[in-house]
Amino acid sequence: MLILLPILLPIVMGSILLVASFVEHLKKNNDYQAESDQELSKIHLFSVAGLVVSAALAIYVGLQKGMSCTLFYLLEDLPIYFAVDSLSLLFVTFISIVFVLVGIYSCVYMKHEHEEKRFFGFYLIVYGVLVGLDFAGNLVTLYLFYEFMTLTSMPFVLHNGSHESTMASLKYLFYSMCGAYLGLFGIFVLYQYAPSLTFTAGGVMSVLSYNGNTAIMLVAIMCMLIGFGAKAGMFPLHAWLPSAHPVAPSPASAVLSSIIVKCGVLAIIRVVFYIAGPSFIAGTWVQYAWMTLSLLTVFMGSLLAFREPIFKKRLAYSSVSQVSYVLFGLAVLTTTGFEGALLHTVFHAFIKCALFLTAGIFIFKCHITRVSDLQGIGKSMPITLWCFTFASLGLIGIPPTSGFISKWYLALGALQSDIGAFRYVGPAILLVSALLTAGYLLEIVVNGFFPKEGTEIKSYGKEPKAMWIPLMVLAGLTLGLGVLPNGLIEFISTIASSLF
Amino acid sequence: MSEMIMPIVVLLPIVFGLTIPFVPLKSKKAKMFYVEGIVLVTSILAILMLLNQPTAEFTLFRFTDYLNVSFRLDGVGSVFVGICALLWPLATLYAFEYMEHEEHQPTFFMFYTITFGVSLGIALSQDILSMYVFYELLTMVTLPLIIHSLSREAIHATRKYLYYSLGGAAFAFIGVIFILVYGDTANFTAGGVLDLVALADKKELLTLVFFLCFCGFSVKTAMFPFCEWLPTAGVAPTPVTALLHAVAVVKAGAFACIRVTYYCFGPELVKGTWAQTVLMCLIIFTIVYGCSRAIKETHIKRRLAWSTVSNLSYILFGVILMTPLGLVGALCHMCFHAVMKITSFFCAGAIMHKSHTNYVHELDGMGRKMPFTFIVYTISGLALMGVPGMCGFMSKWALADAALTDGSPLAIAGVVALLISALLTAIYMMTVTVRAFFPGKDFDYSKLDGVKDPTWMMLLPFGLFVIAMIVFGVNAQPFVDFFTNIAMALM
Repeated sequence: MLILLPILLPIVMGSILLVASFVEHLKKNNDYQAESDQELSKIHLFSVAGLVVSAALAIYVGLQKGMSCTLFYLLEDLPIYFAVDSLSLLFVTFISIVFVLVGIYSCVYMKHEHEEKRFFGFYLIVYGVLVGLDFAGNLVTLYLFYEFMTLTSMPFVLHNGSHESTMASLKYLFYSMCGAYLGLFGIFVLYQYAPSLTFTAGGVMSVLSYNGNTAIMLVAIMCMLIGFGAKAGMFPLHAWLPSAHPVAPSPASAVLSSIIVKCGVLAIIRVVFYIAGPSFIAGTWVQYAWMTLSLLTVFMGSLLAFREPIFKKRLAYSSVSQVSYVLFGLAVLTTTGFEGALLHTVFHAFIKCALFLTAGIFIFKCHITRVSDLQGIGKSMPITLWCFTFASLGLIGIPPTSGFISKWYLALGALQSDIGAFRYVGPAILLVSALLTAGYLLEIVVNGFFPKEGTEIKSYGKEPKAMWIPLMVLAGLTLGLGVLPNGLIEFISTIASSLF
Repeated sequence: MSEMIMPIVVLLPIVFGLTIPFVPLKSKKAKMFYVEGIVLVTSILAILMLLNQPTAEFTLFRFTDYLNVSFRLDGVGSVFVGICALLWPLATLYAFEYMEHEEHQPTFFMFYTITFGVSLGIALSQDILSMYVFYELLTMVTLPLIIHSLSREAIHATRKYLYYSLGGAAFAFIGVIFILVYGDTANFTAGGVLDLVALADKKELLTLVFFLCFCGFSVKTAMFPFCEWLPTAGVAPTPVTALLHAVAVVKAGAFACIRVTYYCFGPELVKGTWAQTVLMCLIIFTIVYGCSRAIKETHIKRRLAWSTVSNLSYILFGVILMTPLGLVGALCHMCFHAVMKITSFFCAGAIMHKSHTNYVHELDGMGRKMPFTFIVYTISGLALMGVPGMCGFMSKWALADAALTDGSPLAIAGVVALLISALLTAIYMMTVTVRAFFPGKDFDYSKLDGVKDPTWMMLLPFGLFVIAMIVFGVNAQPFVDFFTNIAMALM
């Protein structure tokens, strides 16, 4: 039962905040009044403490290998079942790190947005749901938490209440639901033909089980790839991402863009490597379609980011592109590719989070949203811009930052595999996209430190501590994991070796 | 003598319902207690009957030696009795508050209560003729409920309802005749009453008759192309739309389809014939068509009515699969959809009652003023979408399981239609929620002054329904077991 604690604790704590906020609304009859400072610090203490405790619990549970628990049965053969394995440990660790850091950051940032109780309420609930998603032991449980993740993270997009955010949140909802139902179709089919829906390293299929039904099973798996790929921003269901991520408050965009998209990746990993098994789709049309879609997304995302003038939107397009690096790494179905994919999942989480937090600082301190207004920003906020620089280098993949290592593995994985022309096309596209990444990120760094002649440089004052410390930790992780990646690589290769 | 309870539950609301306009009760409250008393007593008796499960039959009266109106309780009937008995008292409670400003209340409650008895009559009918009698009666007693406001629109809707229903009943009657002539018995028998070996040369004809009969009964279930009356009938007061046009009347149609398919003609006759194919195509089309119309519709009750059109075809989809699993899915959705749709209709009614708005675009910002109503509306929307943990997911699961076990291309197309419809459901339900809570930054709340949540008479049903939706959603096994028992008797 211990396994339920890190899932339920944040959900319960978040619900307390939401109920408190709801009661307040009823009392005040909707005349919004800002919370007093004292009340605010209480909310912050409550939320951050809740996050830290749940994160500690979650990681502790993650370390207990083989722990499992059946919560209840939807039907006799549909248990809501949780189980811990190395993959959940990996995901839960980086999710917890990001959530705690962003939680601290939000305490300051959210001062200029309203409704902090509601924000932190949903923030905690989303954390609980994500932990549930990581610990899910079968497809139905995964699907349950996947839907909940969409629904509970939607209020982030809605947060500021403007017309734009309403429309973006609906777009988010409809794309996610479309994806989820594609996934559900796959689950229906697999429930019929697969021997079990419980996650098993290397897949549950035996030759007997798909005898004669291979065609429909492949269609089902393709549906699931596209469906769960919607969350990961994979073409053709990617269009919601650049609309929804930027309108959320910056800490929420950071979480959406660095963590929630990864849950799409997690779902795909679970389906391909823990249900279908890599050998089942290796060499089939599904693999080729998947590679094509992911490479297309990589290229398209970078290109769109390159020509996007709004800072947060540019970062969102960049996420579209970068997460598809991960998907491509998975699609080549080799051990090295898989390792590269997981490494990039972790590194991109830290990097993209750092980038969005930087964007948040610029909005919070200077009210700048457009890239072109960031001229000379480095003069007044050197720490932020340095952190941004390191994170950018990581995303481009320049040694000694962590991004270099993951991209190295990704390229190597593609080259080692047996996938025809994709062996060379893949790495080539990754390289072109890296160049574009350099183009759209380094522009900001260069203009920030070396403004064009004649631009008036405003002074904005220093950024608050609670904002730059999390940022610095993330930038430090980007750099640190690049210099000392061995522990992580070894851990990931044990996961990979159990799958192939 | 336990079978005596069957005519009692049918006749009690009919007889006492007739007295409602004439009882010499002065105060409004006393009348309310009287009406609620009748309904509650009937419900309690009906539930006692379900617990007792009388096995004997009871003949109410005879037309001729062979033709009679008689009752017997069986598994499928129990399901329909259960739905009606549990929902009617709550809906009546809700109607008190909703109808408080309307005219002709006694007449309204008279017919509302009589309908209860007639619906139970359909559920308890032992043979196809009795069912047909009550089925026609249902059309008649629900007419005054639709025409209630006496507006031009209401009269138009009533006329439409009448023509569609009578037309449907005429086709259904063909089926009734053929069953009476060719059937071994007129009584409902699991697996059908036709002796297929003896009637081998009539197979083609009987298939055609089945097709006509099914189409006839499916008018009440609003299968395409017979679906137009249902949204039009949305002009009726909300307790009518909610209970009759989401539960009792339309499910009586679905119930009749189940009876005709599994208990009269029998799955064996129809399975694999053109009739099954054509009906399934129509049903799959209705599933998507209803939802698409719901998105296009901006009148909130008509939108929900179109959603009902689509959801009713989920039930028919289960029925027409002609497998035990299909019947399980159909019965699941029959029960669960009843709860979900009555909830969303009640919310719509509460909104219309409190704010006098009818259209979706007028609901902006309303969520802040009526938070409980809109939260319940959202939950019912999530259930309709089939979010796991809610009852809608379980019935979708059961239907998809049945269809994929069947495995034919058309059945798989049906699963795809279910999922497309789920996505469309998300669109037409959730846009309302989001706009109600987030109308935009510079929205002027002052124009919503005076709008607030309804009183306990409306909120109590809401609360109970929400609990039901979640409990059924996380623990559907008892239902599925019960339905599986019913379905297994067919094979």
